[in-house]
Amino acid sequence: MEGAVDKILIFLGMALVTFFTRYTMIALFGHGISPRLQRWLNYVPAAVLSALIAPAALAPQGKIQLGLPVVSMLVGCLAAYRTRNVFWTILAGLAVFWLGKLAFPG
Amino acid sequence: MPKDFKRGYIGMLPLFPGLIAFGLLYGVLARQVGFATWQTLAMSLIVFAGSAQFTAVGMWASSSAFPIILTTLILNLRHLLLGASLAPYLRGLPRSWKVALAFWLTDESYAVAIAEYQRGSGSHWYFFGASMGVYSIWAVASLTGALLGSAVPDPSRYGLDLVFPLTFLALLFNFLKDRKGVIVALAAGGVALVGASYLPGKWYVIIAGLLGSGLGLLIEEWKGLWTKS
Repeated sequence: MEGAVDKILIFLGMALVTFFTRYTMIALFGHGISPRLQRWLNYVPAAVLSALIAPAALAPQGKIQLGLPVVSMLVGCLAAYRTRNVFWTILAGLAVFWLGKLAFPG
Repeated sequence: MPKDFKRGYIGMLPLFPGLIAFGLLYGVLARQVGFATWQTLAMSLIVFAGSAQFTAVGMWASSSAFPIILTTLILNLRHLLLGASLAPYLRGLPRSWKVALAFWLTDESYAVAIAEYQRGSGSHWYFFGASMGVYSIWAVASLTGALLGSAVPDPSRYGLDLVFPLTFLALLFNFLKDRKGVIVALAAGGVALVGASYLPGKWYVIIAGLLGSGLGLLIEEWKGLWTKS
C-alpha cells in the first residue's frame, strides 16, 4: 500500500468504524434501561478486564504456555490483592520475572 | 468541574508504564513496515485504538484497505460492551459530550472511569481527563517509538509485555467486591483463555464479557429467588 493520502484515508476509515463501536451503545442506552439490564451491566467491568488479562498473560501466542509469566502473574495477583495499587502490582510481577530470568537464564 | 478533569488525568498516571511500553512498540513496528514518522503519529491521533493499530500495521504490507478496516471493526466490537456499561452514567449529557467521550473511549480510560463512577465520585470531566491522559501518552510514546526505530529492544525479553496484563490485574480488584465478582472474573478469564485459542480477533473478549457478566446476574437472580421462597 502506498501514498500518504491512501494512508490517511485508511486511518479515517478505521477511525469511523472504531467510533461506531464506541458510540453505538452510549447513544442507544441514552434514554434509560431496565433495572435488570443495569444489574447485568454492573458485572461487565470485572468480566471484560478478566477477559483481557487471562489470554495476554497466559497465552500470548494463542496457546496456553506455563512458565515464568504465569508465576509473575500469580505474584502480581497477590500484590494487587494486598495493595490495590497498579505500580506495586507491576513492580512485583516484573521483579519475579527478572529474578526468574537471572536464576534460569535461557 | 475542570478540577475533575485534573483528577481524571492524575488517575490515569499509574497506567502510563503499560501505555508507554505498548506505544513504543507500535511506533517501532509502524516504521518497520514503511510508515513515515508523522504517519505513525497520525494513526495514533486519528484512529486511537491500540490493538487495532498493531494489527493494521502487521497487515499493512499484505492487505488492502477493506480487510484492514474490517479487522479494525471486528477488533473493536468489544467497545459495544464497554459503551453499554457506561451508558447509564452518561445519560443526560449533551450529545457533543457523548460523542467526545465515545471517540476517546479505550479499555484503559474505561477501567479507571467506571471504577470511579461505581464509587460514586465519577463524572464526565473525570472520564474526559482520564481519556486525555491516555491520548497524550499514547501520542508521545508512538512518536518516541517511531523516532527511536529499531533502537528499542524486544520488550518480551524484559517481561515488558507483562506490564499490560499486570496493570489490568490491579484494576480488576476494584470490581471484586464480593464472591459474585470473583466468580464472574474467574469464569470470564477461563472462557477468554479457551476462546483466544479458537476464536478470531477479539471475539473472546466479547463472548467472555457477555457470559461472565450474565453469570453474575444469574447468581444474583437465583439468590433473590432463594430468599423469597
